[in-house]
Amino acid sequence: MSGIRFENVSKRFGGVTAVDDLSLEIGSGEFVSILGPSGCGKTTLLRMLAGLERPTGGTISIGDRVVNELAPAQRNIAMVFQTYALYPHMTVAGNIEYPLRKRRVAKDERVRRVREAAAVLELEALLDRKPRELSGGQQQRVALGRALVRDPAVFLLDEPLSNLDAKLRTHMRAELIRLHRRIGRTMVYVTHDQLEAMTMSQRIAVLRDGRLQQFAPPRDIYARPGNDFVAGFIGTPSMNFLDGRLKGTGSGRTFRSGDLSLPLGMLPLTDEMPEPDRRVRLGIRPEHIHFDRQGEPARVNLVEPTGHETILVFDYRGNELVARMDGDIAIEAGDTVKLAFRAEKMRLFAAADGRRLNDDSTA
Amino acid sequence: MPTIRAASASLRLRSLDARYGLLGALLIAPTVLVFCTVIVYPLVSAIYLGLFSIYTPTMEGEWVGLDNYRRLLASGEFWRSLANNLIWTAGTLTLQIVFGILVALMLHRNLVFRALARSLVLFPYFLSTVVAVLVWRWLFNDLYGVLNHLLLWAGIVDLPVDWLGSMPNAMISLIFVGAWKYFPFVVIAVLARLQAIPDELYEAASIDGAGAWARFTDVTLPQLRDVLIVVVLLRTIWDFKEFDLIYLLTGGGPIIGTQTLPLMVYKEAFALNQMGGASATAVLMMLIMLLFMSLYLSRARD
Ligand SMILES: Nc1ncnc2c1ncn2[C@@H]1O[C@H](COP(=O)(O)OP(=O)(O)O)[C@@H](O)[C@H]1O
Ligand SMILES: [Mg+2]
Repeated sequence: MSGIRFENVSKRFGGVTAVDDLSLEIGSGEFVSILGPSGCGKTTLLRMLAGLERPTGGTISIGDRVVNELAPAQRNIAMVFQTYALYPHMTVAGNIEYPLRKRRVAKDERVRRVREAAAVLELEALLDRKPRELSGGQQQRVALGRALVRDPAVFLLDEPLSNLDAKLRTHMRAELIRLHRRIGRTMVYVTHDQLEAMTMSQRIAVLRDGRLQQFAPPRDIYARPGNDFVAGFIGTPSMNFLDGRLKGTGSGRTFRSGDLSLPLGMLPLTDEMPEPDRRVRLGIRPEHIHFDRQGEPARVNLVEPTGHETILVFDYRGNELVARMDGDIAIEAGDTVKLAFRAEKMRLFAAADGRRLNDDSTA
Repeated sequence: MPTIRAASASLRLRSLDARYGLLGALLIAPTVLVFCTVIVYPLVSAIYLGLFSIYTPTMEGEWVGLDNYRRLLASGEFWRSLANNLIWTAGTLTLQIVFGILVALMLHRNLVFRALARSLVLFPYFLSTVVAVLVWRWLFNDLYGVLNHLLLWAGIVDLPVDWLGSMPNAMISLIFVGAWKYFPFVVIAVLARLQAIPDELYEAASIDGAGAWARFTDVTLPQLRDVLIVVVLLRTIWDFKEFDLIYLLTGGGPIIGTQTLPLMVYKEAFALNQMGGASATAVLMMLIMLLFMSLYLSRARD
């Protein structure tokens, strides 16, 4: 009903291409995050959807209407800004009521709906305050209230939690998820914080330099990253990458990097190797590295205990390798140990374009 | 024993306090001194002189008590000057504010010309009053003035208009020239504030369904409120006691058609040689301004 479709949407600012030929389809009622590093075009994408920015090319539809030519007010969307953008001279009630007043909703109806929204967001006690008399979290809730009160088809949120402190952020994350469950509206959530995207969304669209990298549920983004950028961007500490070549065929396939040789017989590939001796990147997540008597020797460079786990940095045949181990591990910098990777968790990427080469079936 | 020690400690403290107090007094003394010479002394002497009948050239006179005030309040000229003063101030201030906001909005939108136009717009403000008034007198001149020439040429009037020598033309001209001279002040203050309004407020408003006019009244104007309060306060004070522009353009004429209180003070003191009456007029003027300002500030605060 009120899904969203981007078809080959581009946006250029002079010489800068902020969004590049992007196609994306968001289901009605879905909670989708747009995730990517700063400057990758997330805000631009959202602003085009809101009607605050005009696409250079492509079409944007909300429901079954193409909205390219529609003014923001006609798109049946509400937006929560990173800076909240509350009207400073109006009270909390005035702020929440404003979109209704501009749409000529009758007074009684306005009062009722403001009260309703305030109840959902626990703002009843603050209705007569001015925005400057509120804490960041409260202002955030007022901004949400102003969006909520109109009951729009689509909610757009641009890094709404980034101005809050860590604890409040966690709290508001849960609140937003609850809100989404309750009202069941389509929500597009822009963030550069992978934790927010992973915990809140039904699907995540990962962006890089204005191009869509992958659009998938959080688990898939983590376990089956479409390319080495997504693989490296999601997860802390990041996935480790080893650059090398693929040798042999079938079950005799190995990964070679210098004098390192890892058997890859059990990793089925997505496509047959066109060229022999193909250059690849091997990716392995920190939690998929373990000690093994038969493994490769590695020197411990750094030990970072965090309590429930220990982050170890190894020198692994000239490569830096980060591993996540038990919290109570007894190990010191300078030690030499033997390491092995969980074979079925290794990911292979083409060195040329970063595309993932091994098949999903083993994930 | 402990009580004695405590007492001596507090004594030491008190003397330390006293020494700091002395130092403080010493440090603000220059300010107080300057304040006294430039503000308190003229003020007190004006109040004092207002109680005498003084012949200006000799500065000699005799005590008359409140006679000067009685005479003033009973004279038509004082009330006429006060009325002129209010008309002039209200008229020119309104034009300044309206023009100022309009031009500031235009400059704010046009990014290309902003830097250039911002300096051009300041031109009337920088121009010396004498020069500005001379130019305007030529423009207004009934025989050779450009204004009449254009109006005659365009067929809007059949006879040259007497811009400065008849009423209400003289007052209208005066108000207009005052607005022209001082609106840049409003432009600069408003423009600075406009540039500080976050774009997101306008964007939020347009998503909320506000059209261009609603965005102006609901976002821009409330944001300008504080700066306008200060601008109106300052401009009211300055316009109310404006002297040179009026004196040079109309000299208060025709007869006393555009004579405001500052011009009346000048006339009493140096044309009629009545320093006492002039001082009393000045004191009354100050009281009127004080009254307006306190009313205005108490209103503006809420
Ligand atoms: N109004 C604009 N004018 C020029 N360049 C812009 C404008 N808005 C964004 N950009 C550029 O577009 C790119 C994407 O910006 P943005 O969408 O804000 O990124 P993000 O929100 O992901 O951090 C950046 O390189 C940014 O500099
Ligand atoms: Mg952004």
